[in-house]
Amino acid sequence: MTRHVGRVLWTRHLARNVGRVLRTRHLLIPIGASVVVGALMLTTAAGQRPSGDARPVQAIVVGGCDLANVNAFHACASAKAKAFMPPRTADGVPDLQGYWRSRNNNAAYNVEEAAATFGIPASGGHIIDMPDRHIPYRPEALARRNQLRGKGFDDPQAHCAPSGAPRKNVTLFGWKIIQPAGHVLFLYESMHDYRVIPTSGRPHISPAIKMWHGDPVGRWEGSTLVVDYRNLNGRHWFDMSGNFQTEHIHVVERYTMYEANAILFEARIEDDTIYTRPWTLAFALERNTEAGYYQLEYACHEGERDLQHLAAGNER
Amino acid sequence: MRGRAWLLIGLITCAAALIACRGTSPDARTPFVPPRTAAGHPDLQGIWQVRNAAHWDLQDHTGALNVPAGFGVVVDPKDGTIPYRPEARARKQANLAAREQSDPMQKCYLAGVPRTMYLPHPIQIFQTGAEVVFLSEYVHTWRWVPLTPLERYPGYESWMGDPRGRWDGDTLVVETVGFNGQTWLDHAGNYHSDALKVVERLTRTGPEVITYEATIDDPKVFTRPWTIRMPLYRHVDRTQLLEYECYLYAEDAGRPIIGSHPEVNE
Repeated sequence: MTRHVGRVLWTRHLARNVGRVLRTRHLLIPIGASVVVGALMLTTAAGQRPSGDARPVQAIVVGGCDLANVNAFHACASAKAKAFMPPRTADGVPDLQGYWRSRNNNAAYNVEEAAATFGIPASGGHIIDMPDRHIPYRPEALARRNQLRGKGFDDPQAHCAPSGAPRKNVTLFGWKIIQPAGHVLFLYESMHDYRVIPTSGRPHISPAIKMWHGDPVGRWEGSTLVVDYRNLNGRHWFDMSGNFQTEHIHVVERYTMYEANAILFEARIEDDTIYTRPWTLAFALERNTEAGYYQLEYACHEGERDLQHLAAGNER
Repeated sequence: MRGRAWLLIGLITCAAALIACRGTSPDARTPFVPPRTAAGHPDLQGIWQVRNAAHWDLQDHTGALNVPAGFGVVVDPKDGTIPYRPEARARKQANLAAREQSDPMQKCYLAGVPRTMYLPHPIQIFQTGAEVVFLSEYVHTWRWVPLTPLERYPGYESWMGDPRGRWDGDTLVVETVGFNGQTWLDHAGNYHSDALKVVERLTRTGPEVITYEATIDDPKVFTRPWTIRMPLYRHVDRTQLLEYECYLYAEDAGRPIIGSHPEVNE
Protein backbone atom coordinates (compact mmCIF):
# COMPACT_ATOMS: atom_id res chain seq x y z
CA MET A 1 0.00 0.00 0.00
CA THR A 2 2.94 2.33 -0.44
CA ARG A 3 2.60 3.25 -4.10
CA HIS A 4 0.90 6.54 -4.82
CA VAL A 5 -0.31 6.68 -8.36
CA GLY A 6 -1.75 10.14 -8.29
CA ARG A 7 -3.57 12.64 -6.20
CA VAL A 8 -6.18 15.26 -6.61
CA LEU A 9 -6.50 18.48 -4.69
CA TRP A 10 -10.06 19.43 -5.44
CA THR A 11 -10.75 21.26 -2.24
CA ARG A 12 -8.85 22.77 0.57
CA HIS A 13 -10.65 20.33 2.83
CA LEU A 14 -9.77 17.28 0.82
CA ALA A 15 -6.31 18.65 0.18
CA ARG A 16 -5.66 18.56 3.88
CA ASN A 17 -6.89 15.03 4.02
CA VAL A 18 -4.89 13.98 0.99
CA GLY A 19 -1.71 15.14 2.62
CA ARG A 20 -2.68 13.14 5.65
CA VAL A 21 -3.67 10.19 3.52
CA LEU A 22 -0.35 10.16 1.73
CA ARG A 23 1.50 10.35 5.01
CA THR A 24 -0.49 7.44 6.33
CA ARG A 25 0.27 5.40 3.25
CA HIS A 26 -3.09 4.99 1.65
CA LEU A 27 -3.43 4.28 -2.02
CA LEU A 28 -5.16 7.18 -3.63
CA ILE A 29 -6.20 7.54 -7.22
CA PRO A 30 -8.16 10.34 -8.79
CA ILE A 31 -11.61 9.75 -10.06
CA GLY A 32 -14.13 11.27 -12.38
CA ALA A 33 -13.54 14.91 -12.92
CA SER A 34 -9.86 14.67 -12.17
CA VAL A 35 -9.17 11.95 -14.68
CA VAL A 36 -6.87 14.06 -16.82
CA VAL A 37 -4.43 15.11 -14.13
CA GLY A 38 -4.37 11.67 -12.57
CA ALA A 39 -4.03 9.84 -15.84
CA LEU A 40 -1.11 11.94 -16.94
CA MET A 41 0.65 11.32 -13.66
CA LEU A 42 -0.12 7.63 -13.86
CA THR A 43 1.14 7.15 -17.38
CA THR A 44 4.21 9.18 -16.62
CA ALA A 45 4.95 7.20 -13.51
CA ALA A 46 4.38 3.86 -15.18
CA GLY A 47 6.26 4.69 -18.37
CA GLN A 48 4.49 5.86 -21.51
CA ARG A 49 3.75 3.21 -24.07
CA PRO A 50 3.42 3.84 -27.77
CA SER A 51 -0.12 4.53 -28.92
CA GLY A 52 -1.87 1.38 -30.05
CA ASP A 53 -0.01 -0.85 -27.62
CA ALA A 54 -2.71 -2.27 -25.35
CA ARG A 55 -0.46 -4.36 -23.19
CA PRO A 56 -1.07 -3.98 -19.46
CA VAL A 57 0.60 -0.97 -17.95
CA GLN A 58 2.13 -2.89 -15.10
CA ALA A 59 2.52 -6.44 -13.83
CA ILE A 60 0.09 -7.16 -11.00
CA VAL A 61 0.28 -10.46 -9.15
CA VAL A 62 -2.27 -11.18 -6.41
CA GLY A 63 -2.33 -14.43 -4.45
CA GLY A 64 0.10 -15.97 -6.92
CA CYS A 65 -2.06 -15.16 -9.99
CA ASP A 66 -0.89 -12.64 -12.59
CA LEU A 67 -3.49 -10.17 -13.84
CA ALA A 68 -1.60 -9.34 -17.05
CA ASN A 69 -3.99 -11.60 -18.97
CA VAL A 70 -7.44 -11.67 -17.43
CA ASN A 71 -8.36 -15.13 -18.77
CA ALA A 72 -5.13 -16.63 -17.46
CA PHE A 73 -5.77 -14.87 -14.14
CA HIS A 74 -9.32 -16.22 -13.99
CA ALA A 75 -8.14 -19.78 -14.67
CA CYS A 76 -5.36 -19.47 -12.08
CA ALA A 77 -7.60 -18.05 -9.33
CA SER A 78 -10.41 -20.53 -10.05
CA ALA A 79 -7.99 -23.47 -9.80
CA LYS A 80 -6.52 -22.16 -6.55
CA ALA A 81 -10.01 -21.57 -5.11
CA LYS A 82 -10.86 -25.27 -5.58
CA ALA A 83 -7.95 -26.23 -3.34
CA PHE A 84 -8.34 -23.41 -0.79
CA MET A 85 -10.48 -23.66 2.31
CA PRO A 86 -11.35 -20.17 3.56
CA PRO A 87 -11.58 -19.48 7.31
CA ARG A 88 -15.12 -19.56 8.74
CA THR A 89 -17.13 -17.15 10.87
CA ALA A 90 -19.01 -18.26 13.99
CA ASP A 91 -22.00 -18.71 11.66
CA GLY A 92 -20.01 -21.25 9.65
CA VAL A 93 -19.81 -19.22 6.44
CA PRO A 94 -16.56 -18.13 4.76
CA ASP A 95 -14.97 -15.27 6.67
CA LEU A 96 -14.23 -12.46 4.21
CA GLN A 97 -13.86 -9.81 6.91
CA GLY A 98 -11.11 -7.24 6.71
CA TYR A 99 -9.89 -4.41 4.51
CA TRP A 100 -9.74 -5.09 0.77
CA ARG A 101 -8.92 -3.22 -2.39
CA SER A 102 -9.38 -3.87 -6.05
CA ARG A 103 -6.41 -4.92 -8.20
CA ASN A 104 -6.81 -4.62 -11.95
CA ASN A 105 -5.28 -3.15 -15.08
CA ASN A 106 -6.78 0.32 -15.04
CA ALA A 107 -10.36 -0.91 -15.16
CA ALA A 108 -11.28 2.30 -13.32
CA TYR A 109 -10.50 4.12 -16.57
CA ASN A 110 -11.88 1.52 -18.96
CA VAL A 111 -13.18 -1.99 -18.30
CA GLU A 112 -12.51 -2.84 -21.95
CA GLU A 113 -9.08 -3.52 -23.41
CA ALA A 114 -7.89 -0.23 -24.83
CA ALA A 115 -4.75 1.56 -25.87
CA ALA A 116 -3.67 4.72 -24.10
CA THR A 117 -5.19 7.93 -25.40
CA PHE A 118 -4.75 11.51 -24.28
CA GLY A 119 -5.35 11.60 -20.56
CA ILE A 120 -6.34 7.93 -20.33
CA PRO A 121 -3.79 5.19 -19.68
CA ALA A 122 -3.91 1.85 -21.45
CA SER A 123 -6.26 -0.68 -19.89
CA GLY A 124 -5.74 -4.43 -19.93
CA GLY A 125 -9.41 -5.29 -20.30
CA HIS A 126 -11.24 -7.37 -17.71
CA ILE A 127 -14.03 -8.97 -19.73
CA ILE A 128 -13.42 -12.72 -19.64
CA ASP A 129 -16.10 -14.04 -22.00
CA MET A 130 -15.56 -11.82 -25.05
CA PRO A 131 -12.54 -12.65 -27.23
CA ASP A 132 -11.80 -8.97 -27.94
CA ARG A 133 -12.49 -7.97 -24.31
CA HIS A 134 -15.04 -5.46 -25.48
CA ILE A 135 -18.60 -5.04 -24.20
CA PRO A 136 -21.06 -6.66 -26.67
CA TYR A 137 -23.05 -3.48 -27.35
CA ARG A 138 -25.94 -3.37 -29.77
CA PRO A 139 -25.01 -0.91 -32.57
CA GLU A 140 -27.15 1.98 -31.35
CA ALA A 141 -25.85 1.47 -27.80
CA LEU A 142 -22.26 1.53 -29.05
CA ALA A 143 -22.96 4.85 -30.73
CA ARG A 144 -24.28 6.20 -27.45
CA ARG A 145 -21.21 4.94 -25.59
CA ASN A 146 -18.94 6.69 -28.08
CA GLN A 147 -20.93 9.88 -27.62
CA LEU A 148 -20.66 9.66 -23.82
CA ARG A 149 -16.94 8.97 -23.98
CA GLY A 150 -16.15 12.60 -24.63
CA LYS A 151 -18.28 13.84 -21.74
CA GLY A 152 -16.33 13.10 -18.60
CA PHE A 153 -18.31 15.71 -16.71
CA ASP A 154 -21.39 13.54 -17.22
CA ASP A 155 -19.75 10.62 -15.42
CA PRO A 156 -22.02 10.11 -12.40
CA GLN A 157 -18.96 9.49 -10.26
CA ALA A 158 -17.78 13.02 -11.04
CA HIS A 159 -21.07 14.17 -9.46
CA CYS A 160 -20.30 12.16 -6.32
CA ALA A 161 -23.05 9.67 -7.13
CA PRO A 162 -22.82 6.28 -5.45
CA SER A 163 -21.05 4.08 -7.98
CA GLY A 164 -23.39 1.10 -7.80
CA ALA A 165 -22.51 -2.45 -8.77
CA PRO A 166 -20.00 -3.45 -9.98
CA ARG A 167 -18.24 -0.10 -10.35
CA LYS A 168 -17.80 0.48 -6.65
CA ASN A 169 -15.34 -2.42 -6.74
CA VAL A 170 -13.53 -1.07 -9.79
CA THR A 171 -12.44 2.17 -8.17
CA LEU A 172 -9.08 1.85 -6.49
CA PHE A 173 -10.14 2.96 -3.05
CA GLY A 174 -10.49 0.22 -0.50
CA TRP A 175 -13.36 -1.03 1.56
CA LYS A 176 -14.06 -2.98 4.73
CA ILE A 177 -16.04 -6.20 4.79
CA ILE A 178 -17.94 -6.96 8.01
CA GLN A 179 -20.16 -9.97 8.61
CA PRO A 180 -22.82 -9.45 11.28
CA ALA A 181 -25.16 -12.45 11.65
CA GLY A 182 -27.09 -13.04 8.42
CA HIS A 183 -25.47 -10.18 6.52
CA VAL A 184 -22.38 -9.05 4.69
CA LEU A 185 -21.61 -5.31 4.95
CA PHE A 186 -19.28 -3.40 2.66
CA LEU A 187 -18.14 -0.04 4.04
CA TYR A 188 -16.35 1.84 1.26
CA GLU A 189 -13.79 4.55 1.86
CA SER A 190 -14.76 6.38 -1.32
CA MET A 191 -17.80 8.62 -0.76
CA HIS A 192 -18.63 6.84 2.53
CA ASP A 193 -20.70 4.43 0.46
CA TYR A 194 -22.04 1.18 1.87
CA ARG A 195 -23.75 -2.01 0.81
CA VAL A 196 -25.93 -4.11 3.07
CA ILE A 197 -26.13 -7.63 1.65
CA PRO A 198 -28.61 -9.89 3.42
CA THR A 199 -27.80 -13.59 3.08
CA SER A 200 -31.12 -14.68 4.54
CA GLY A 201 -32.67 -15.24 1.13
CA ARG A 202 -35.20 -12.41 1.25
CA PRO A 203 -36.75 -11.56 -2.14
CA HIS A 204 -35.96 -8.37 -4.06
CA ILE A 205 -38.03 -5.29 -3.32
CA SER A 206 -40.59 -3.91 -5.77
CA PRO A 207 -39.18 -2.83 -9.14
CA ALA A 208 -40.97 0.47 -8.58
CA ILE A 209 -38.06 1.47 -6.31
CA LYS A 210 -34.88 2.33 -8.21
CA MET A 211 -31.68 3.17 -6.38
CA TRP A 212 -28.10 4.19 -7.15
CA HIS A 213 -27.10 1.35 -4.81
CA GLY A 214 -29.60 -1.12 -6.20
CA ASP A 215 -31.05 -3.88 -4.05
CA PRO A 216 -28.36 -6.49 -3.29
CA VAL A 217 -29.53 -9.94 -2.20
CA GLY A 218 -26.82 -12.42 -1.23
CA ARG A 219 -26.42 -16.14 -0.77
CA TRP A 220 -23.55 -18.55 -0.16
CA GLU A 221 -22.79 -21.09 -2.88
CA GLY A 222 -20.17 -23.35 -1.35
CA SER A 223 -17.38 -20.94 -0.43
CA THR A 224 -18.57 -18.24 -2.81
CA LEU A 225 -20.60 -15.19 -1.82
CA VAL A 226 -23.09 -14.56 -4.63
CA VAL A 227 -24.79 -11.14 -4.71
CA ASP A 228 -27.73 -10.51 -7.01
CA TYR A 229 -28.49 -6.84 -7.80
CA ARG A 230 -31.82 -5.56 -9.05
CA ASN A 231 -33.45 -2.15 -8.71
CA LEU A 232 -30.36 -0.33 -10.00
CA ASN A 233 -31.39 3.00 -11.48
CA GLY A 234 -29.25 2.40 -14.58
CA ARG A 235 -27.60 5.81 -14.46
CA HIS A 236 -24.14 4.50 -13.63
CA TRP A 237 -21.16 4.11 -15.87
CA PHE A 238 -18.82 1.14 -15.52
CA ASP A 239 -15.70 3.31 -15.80
CA MET A 240 -14.53 6.76 -16.89
CA SER A 241 -14.85 5.87 -20.59
CA GLY A 242 -18.58 6.19 -21.05
CA ASN A 243 -19.42 2.49 -20.80
CA PHE A 244 -22.99 2.81 -19.61
CA GLN A 245 -26.03 0.86 -18.46
CA THR A 246 -29.81 1.14 -18.23
CA GLU A 247 -32.38 0.52 -15.52
CA HIS A 248 -32.88 -2.97 -16.99
CA ILE A 249 -29.43 -4.03 -15.79
CA HIS A 250 -29.10 -7.19 -13.73
CA VAL A 251 -25.76 -7.75 -12.00
CA VAL A 252 -24.59 -10.92 -10.28
CA GLU A 253 -21.34 -10.59 -8.35
CA ARG A 254 -19.32 -13.54 -7.06
CA TYR A 255 -16.65 -13.32 -4.34
CA THR A 256 -14.42 -16.39 -3.93
CA MET A 257 -11.41 -16.39 -1.63
CA TYR A 258 -8.58 -18.29 -3.35
CA GLU A 259 -5.77 -17.46 -0.99
CA ALA A 260 -5.74 -16.00 2.54
CA ASN A 261 -5.29 -12.46 1.20
CA ALA A 262 -6.90 -12.76 -2.24
CA ILE A 263 -10.45 -12.89 -3.58
CA LEU A 264 -11.52 -13.68 -7.13
CA PHE A 265 -14.14 -11.09 -8.04
CA GLU A 266 -16.53 -11.76 -10.91
CA ALA A 267 -19.49 -9.68 -12.08
CA ARG A 268 -21.94 -10.95 -14.69
CA ILE A 269 -23.78 -8.13 -16.46
CA GLU A 270 -27.07 -8.68 -18.23
CA ASP A 271 -29.21 -6.11 -20.06
CA ASP A 272 -30.56 -7.25 -23.40
CA THR A 273 -31.82 -3.76 -24.22
CA ILE A 274 -28.25 -2.61 -24.95
CA TYR A 275 -26.01 -5.72 -24.97
CA THR A 276 -26.32 -8.64 -27.42
CA ARG A 277 -25.39 -11.13 -24.69
CA PRO A 278 -24.44 -11.21 -20.98
CA TRP A 279 -20.80 -10.47 -20.24
CA THR A 280 -18.53 -10.95 -17.26
CA LEU A 281 -15.87 -8.85 -15.56
CA ALA A 282 -13.18 -10.46 -13.41
CA PHE A 283 -10.24 -9.22 -11.38
CA ALA A 284 -8.64 -9.62 -7.96
CA LEU A 285 -9.32 -8.17 -4.54
CA GLU A 286 -6.28 -7.97 -2.29
CA ARG A 287 -6.33 -7.79 1.49
CA ASN A 288 -4.78 -4.79 3.20
CA THR A 289 -2.74 -6.29 6.03
CA GLU A 290 -1.34 -3.02 7.38
CA ALA A 291 -1.47 -3.07 11.20
CA GLY A 292 -3.57 -0.34 12.83
CA TYR A 293 -5.12 0.69 9.50
CA TYR A 294 -8.61 2.12 9.36
CA GLN A 295 -10.49 4.08 6.74
CA LEU A 296 -10.56 7.84 6.85
CA GLU A 297 -13.47 9.87 5.61
CA TYR A 298 -13.75 10.67 1.92
CA ALA A 299 -16.54 13.24 1.74
CA CYS A 300 -17.08 13.88 -1.97
CA HIS A 301 -19.98 16.28 -2.48
CA GLU A 302 -18.90 18.52 0.41
CA GLY A 303 -15.62 19.27 -1.29
CA GLU A 304 -16.35 18.90 -4.99
CA ARG A 305 -15.11 21.97 -6.90
CA ASP A 306 -14.23 20.75 -10.37
CA LEU A 307 -17.57 19.97 -11.90
CA GLN A 308 -18.65 23.54 -12.55
CA HIS A 309 -15.39 24.25 -14.39
CA LEU A 310 -15.60 21.07 -16.47
CA ALA A 311 -19.20 21.73 -17.41
CA ALA A 312 -18.39 25.37 -18.21
CA GLY A 313 -15.47 24.24 -20.34
CA ASN A 314 -17.74 22.01 -22.36
CA GLU A 315 -20.20 24.82 -23.00
CA ARG A 316 -17.53 27.07 -24.45
CA MET B 1 -48.25 -31.49 40.29
CA ARG B 2 -44.89 -29.80 40.81
CA GLY B 3 -44.71 -29.15 37.04
CA ARG B 4 -48.05 -27.35 37.17
CA ALA B 5 -46.92 -25.19 40.07
CA TRP B 6 -43.86 -24.10 38.13
CA LEU B 7 -46.03 -23.38 35.11
CA LEU B 8 -48.30 -21.23 37.29
CA ILE B 9 -45.34 -19.33 38.74
CA GLY B 10 -44.01 -18.84 35.24
CA LEU B 11 -47.31 -17.47 33.98
CA ILE B 12 -47.63 -15.08 36.92
CA THR B 13 -44.06 -13.84 36.36
CA CYS B 14 -44.75 -13.26 32.66
CA ALA B 15 -47.97 -11.43 33.39
CA ALA B 16 -46.25 -9.27 36.00
CA ALA B 17 -43.49 -8.43 33.54
CA LEU B 18 -46.04 -7.46 30.89
CA ILE B 19 -47.94 -5.22 33.30
CA ALA B 20 -44.71 -3.62 34.46
CA CYS B 21 -43.68 -2.83 30.88
CA ARG B 22 -47.07 -1.47 29.87
CA GLY B 23 -47.42 0.72 32.88
CA THR B 24 -44.15 2.57 32.37
CA SER B 25 -42.74 4.90 29.77
CA PRO B 26 -40.09 3.07 27.74
CA ASP B 27 -37.84 6.06 28.26
CA ALA B 28 -37.88 5.75 32.03
CA ARG B 29 -35.00 3.30 32.48
CA THR B 30 -37.18 0.32 33.29
CA PRO B 31 -35.18 -2.77 34.09
CA PHE B 32 -35.66 -4.09 30.57
CA VAL B 33 -33.42 -7.08 29.89
CA PRO B 34 -32.14 -6.75 26.34
CA PRO B 35 -31.64 -9.72 24.05
CA ARG B 36 -27.97 -10.48 23.42
CA THR B 37 -25.86 -10.97 20.33
CA ALA B 38 -23.70 -14.05 19.86
CA ALA B 39 -20.84 -12.02 21.35
CA GLY B 40 -22.90 -11.50 24.53
CA HIS B 41 -23.54 -7.76 24.01
CA PRO B 42 -27.00 -6.19 24.20
CA ASP B 43 -28.52 -6.45 20.72
CA LEU B 44 -29.08 -2.96 19.29
CA GLN B 45 -29.49 -4.18 15.72
CA GLY B 46 -32.36 -3.03 13.60
CA ILE B 47 -33.73 0.06 11.89
CA TRP B 48 -34.35 3.01 14.19
CA GLN B 49 -35.52 6.59 14.03
CA VAL B 50 -36.48 9.35 16.43
CA ARG B 51 -40.03 10.69 16.56
CA ASN B 52 -39.34 14.27 17.57
CA ALA B 53 -38.31 17.64 16.17
CA ALA B 54 -34.72 17.62 17.44
CA HIS B 55 -33.43 17.87 13.87
CA TRP B 56 -35.11 21.28 13.58
CA ASP B 57 -34.31 22.55 17.06
CA LEU B 58 -32.83 20.82 20.11
CA GLN B 59 -34.63 23.24 22.42
CA ASP B 60 -38.32 23.99 23.05
CA HIS B 61 -39.71 25.73 19.97
CA THR B 62 -42.95 26.70 18.28
CA GLY B 63 -43.72 25.60 14.75
CA ALA B 64 -42.76 27.59 11.66
CA LEU B 65 -42.99 27.03 7.90
CA ASN B 66 -41.51 23.55 7.29
CA VAL B 67 -40.46 23.38 10.94
CA PRO B 68 -42.58 21.14 13.19
CA ALA B 69 -43.11 22.35 16.75
CA GLY B 70 -41.29 20.38 19.39
CA PHE B 71 -40.27 19.96 22.98
CA GLY B 72 -36.59 20.35 23.73
CA VAL B 73 -34.35 17.32 24.23
CA VAL B 74 -31.69 19.04 26.36
CA VAL B 75 -31.78 17.29 29.76
CA ASP B 76 -28.67 18.88 31.23
CA PRO B 77 -28.70 21.80 32.09
CA LYS B 78 -32.06 21.15 33.71
CA ASP B 79 -33.63 24.31 32.28
CA GLY B 80 -33.11 22.91 28.77
CA THR B 81 -30.96 25.83 27.62
CA ILE B 82 -27.74 25.24 25.71
CA PRO B 83 -24.89 26.84 27.73
CA TYR B 84 -23.31 29.05 25.06
CA ARG B 85 -20.44 31.39 25.65
CA PRO B 86 -21.74 34.95 25.09
CA GLU B 87 -20.00 35.50 21.73
CA ALA B 88 -21.06 32.03 20.57
CA ARG B 89 -24.69 32.75 21.42
CA ALA B 90 -24.58 35.72 19.06
CA ARG B 91 -23.33 33.47 16.28
CA LYS B 92 -26.06 30.93 16.99
CA GLN B 93 -28.63 33.74 16.61
CA ALA B 94 -27.04 34.80 13.30
CA ASN B 95 -27.12 31.18 12.14
CA LEU B 96 -30.79 30.92 13.07
CA ALA B 97 -31.66 34.06 11.11
CA ALA B 98 -29.90 32.72 7.99
CA ARG B 99 -30.74 29.04 8.40
CA GLU B 100 -32.51 28.65 5.06
CA GLN B 101 -29.18 29.35 3.35
CA SER B 102 -26.59 28.56 5.98
CA ASP B 103 -27.63 25.23 7.46
CA PRO B 104 -25.05 22.85 5.93
CA MET B 105 -27.85 20.34 5.36
CA GLN B 106 -29.53 22.82 2.99
CA LYS B 107 -26.54 22.04 0.75
CA CYS B 108 -27.04 18.31 1.30
CA TYR B 109 -23.81 18.04 3.27
CA LEU B 110 -23.14 15.24 5.71
CA ALA B 111 -25.13 15.89 8.89
CA GLY B 112 -22.31 15.22 11.36
CA VAL B 113 -22.62 13.88 14.89
CA PRO B 114 -24.86 13.70 16.81
CA ARG B 115 -27.31 15.19 14.24
CA THR B 116 -27.14 12.09 11.99
CA MET B 117 -28.77 10.13 14.82
CA TYR B 118 -31.94 12.29 15.00
CA LEU B 119 -32.61 13.13 11.36
CA PRO B 120 -36.05 12.60 9.84
CA HIS B 121 -34.45 9.57 8.10
CA PRO B 122 -33.89 6.10 9.52
CA ILE B 123 -30.60 4.64 10.67
CA GLN B 124 -29.62 0.99 10.82
CA ILE B 125 -27.41 -0.57 13.47
CA PHE B 126 -25.25 -3.66 12.95
CA GLN B 127 -22.98 -5.37 15.46
CA THR B 128 -20.21 -7.90 15.65
CA GLY B 129 -18.15 -8.70 18.72
CA ALA B 130 -15.52 -6.21 17.54
CA GLU B 131 -17.53 -3.27 16.22
CA VAL B 132 -20.82 -1.44 15.93
CA VAL B 133 -21.88 0.12 12.62
CA PHE B 134 -24.39 2.95 12.21
CA LEU B 135 -25.70 3.36 8.67
CA SER B 136 -27.69 6.42 7.68
CA GLU B 137 -30.19 6.53 4.85
CA TYR B 138 -29.50 10.26 4.47
CA VAL B 139 -26.76 10.58 1.81
CA HIS B 140 -25.64 6.98 2.38
CA THR B 141 -23.12 7.41 5.14
CA TRP B 142 -21.65 5.04 7.71
CA ARG B 143 -20.11 5.37 11.14
CA TRP B 144 -17.78 2.54 11.98
CA VAL B 145 -17.28 2.21 15.74
CA PRO B 146 -14.49 -0.16 16.78
CA LEU B 147 -14.85 -1.71 20.24
CA THR B 148 -11.18 -2.63 20.33
CA PRO B 149 -8.29 -0.27 21.08
CA LEU B 150 -7.23 1.48 17.86
CA GLU B 151 -4.80 4.37 17.76
CA ARG B 152 -6.29 7.48 16.18
CA TYR B 153 -4.68 9.28 13.26
CA PRO B 154 -3.35 12.50 14.80
CA GLY B 155 -4.87 15.76 13.58
CA TYR B 156 -7.68 14.03 11.71
CA GLU B 157 -10.69 16.23 10.97
CA SER B 158 -13.85 15.15 9.25
CA TRP B 159 -17.60 15.68 8.89
CA MET B 160 -18.57 12.51 10.76
CA GLY B 161 -15.74 12.26 13.31
CA ASP B 162 -13.56 9.40 14.46
CA PRO B 163 -15.51 7.24 16.93
CA ARG B 164 -14.41 4.67 19.49
CA GLY B 165 -16.85 2.47 21.37
CA ARG B 166 -17.06 0.40 24.55
CA TRP B 167 -19.72 -1.36 26.58
CA ASP B 168 -20.49 0.12 30.00
CA GLY B 169 -22.70 -2.63 31.43
CA ASP B 170 -25.62 -2.83 28.99
CA THR B 171 -24.95 0.63 27.55
CA LEU B 172 -22.97 1.24 24.39
CA VAL B 173 -20.73 4.28 24.91
CA VAL B 174 -19.33 5.96 21.79
CA GLU B 175 -16.75 8.71 22.12
CA THR B 176 -16.16 10.74 18.96
CA VAL B 177 -13.62 13.48 18.19
CA GLY B 178 -11.89 14.56 14.98
CA PHE B 179 -14.57 16.93 13.65
CA ASN B 180 -14.06 19.73 11.14
CA GLY B 181 -16.41 22.22 12.82
CA GLN B 182 -18.53 22.70 9.69
CA THR B 183 -21.69 20.85 10.70
CA TRP B 184 -24.57 22.15 12.77
CA LEU B 185 -26.36 20.39 15.61
CA ASP B 186 -29.81 21.27 14.26
CA HIS B 187 -31.67 23.51 11.80
CA ALA B 188 -31.94 26.26 14.42
CA GLY B 189 -28.31 27.24 14.04
CA ASN B 190 -27.01 25.44 17.11
CA TYR B 191 -23.40 24.75 16.16
CA HIS B 192 -20.02 23.60 17.37
CA SER B 193 -16.33 24.02 16.55
CA ASP B 194 -13.57 21.59 15.60
CA ALA B 195 -12.96 21.13 19.34
CA LEU B 196 -16.19 19.14 19.59
CA LYS B 197 -16.20 15.92 21.59
CA VAL B 198 -19.38 13.86 21.65
CA VAL B 199 -20.03 11.01 24.08
CA GLU B 200 -23.11 9.01 23.09
CA ARG B 201 -24.83 6.41 25.25
CA LEU B 202 -27.24 3.90 23.71
CA THR B 203 -29.30 1.67 25.99
CA ARG B 204 -32.08 -0.74 25.03
CA THR B 205 -34.86 0.32 27.40
CA GLY B 206 -37.72 -1.57 25.79
CA PRO B 207 -38.44 -4.14 23.08
CA GLU B 208 -38.71 -1.44 20.41
CA VAL B 209 -36.84 1.44 22.07
CA ILE B 210 -33.26 2.58 22.50
CA THR B 211 -32.66 5.48 24.84
CA TYR B 212 -30.16 7.69 23.07
CA GLU B 213 -28.11 10.22 24.98
CA ALA B 214 -25.33 12.49 23.77
CA THR B 215 -23.08 14.74 25.82
CA ILE B 216 -21.67 17.62 23.81
CA ASP B 217 -18.40 19.13 24.96
CA ASP B 218 -16.81 22.02 23.07
CA PRO B 219 -14.98 24.57 25.24
CA LYS B 220 -14.62 26.99 22.30
CA VAL B 221 -18.42 27.35 22.07
CA PHE B 222 -20.00 26.23 25.36
CA THR B 223 -19.33 27.12 29.00
CA ARG B 224 -19.75 23.48 30.02
CA PRO B 225 -20.69 20.05 28.61
CA TRP B 226 -24.42 19.54 28.06
CA THR B 227 -26.59 16.54 27.32
CA ILE B 228 -29.50 15.64 25.06
CA ARG B 229 -31.66 12.54 25.50
CA MET B 230 -34.38 11.01 23.35
CA PRO B 231 -35.83 7.63 22.43
CA LEU B 232 -34.98 5.94 19.14
CA TYR B 233 -37.94 3.86 17.98
CA ARG B 234 -37.65 0.67 15.98
CA HIS B 235 -39.17 0.50 12.52
CA VAL B 236 -41.12 -2.70 13.06
CA ASP B 237 -42.38 -2.78 9.46
CA ARG B 238 -39.16 -2.63 7.45
CA THR B 239 -35.92 -4.54 7.33
CA GLN B 240 -33.77 -2.44 5.04
CA LEU B 241 -32.76 1.13 4.41
CA LEU B 242 -33.48 2.71 1.06
CA GLU B 243 -31.53 5.76 -0.10
CA TYR B 244 -31.88 9.50 0.10
CA GLU B 245 -29.37 11.03 -2.32
CA CYS B 246 -30.00 14.65 -1.50
CA TYR B 247 -27.57 16.49 -3.82
CA LEU B 248 -28.35 14.23 -6.77
CA TYR B 249 -32.06 14.97 -6.40
CA ALA B 250 -31.16 18.67 -6.44
CA GLU B 251 -29.33 18.10 -9.73
CA ASP B 252 -32.28 16.19 -11.11
CA ALA B 253 -34.48 19.11 -10.18
CA GLY B 254 -32.21 21.49 -12.09
CA ARG B 255 -30.75 23.02 -8.93
CA PRO B 256 -27.24 21.60 -8.78
CA ILE B 257 -25.50 22.65 -5.58
CA ILE B 258 -22.19 24.05 -6.74
CA GLY B 259 -20.02 26.89 -5.61
CA SER B 260 -21.62 26.94 -2.19
CA HIS B 261 -18.85 25.43 -0.17
CA PRO B 262 -17.95 26.80 3.26
CA GLU B 263 -14.58 28.13 2.18
CA VAL B 264 -16.25 30.10 -0.62
CA ASN B 265 -18.65 31.69 1.81
CA GLU B 266 -16.00 32.59 4.36
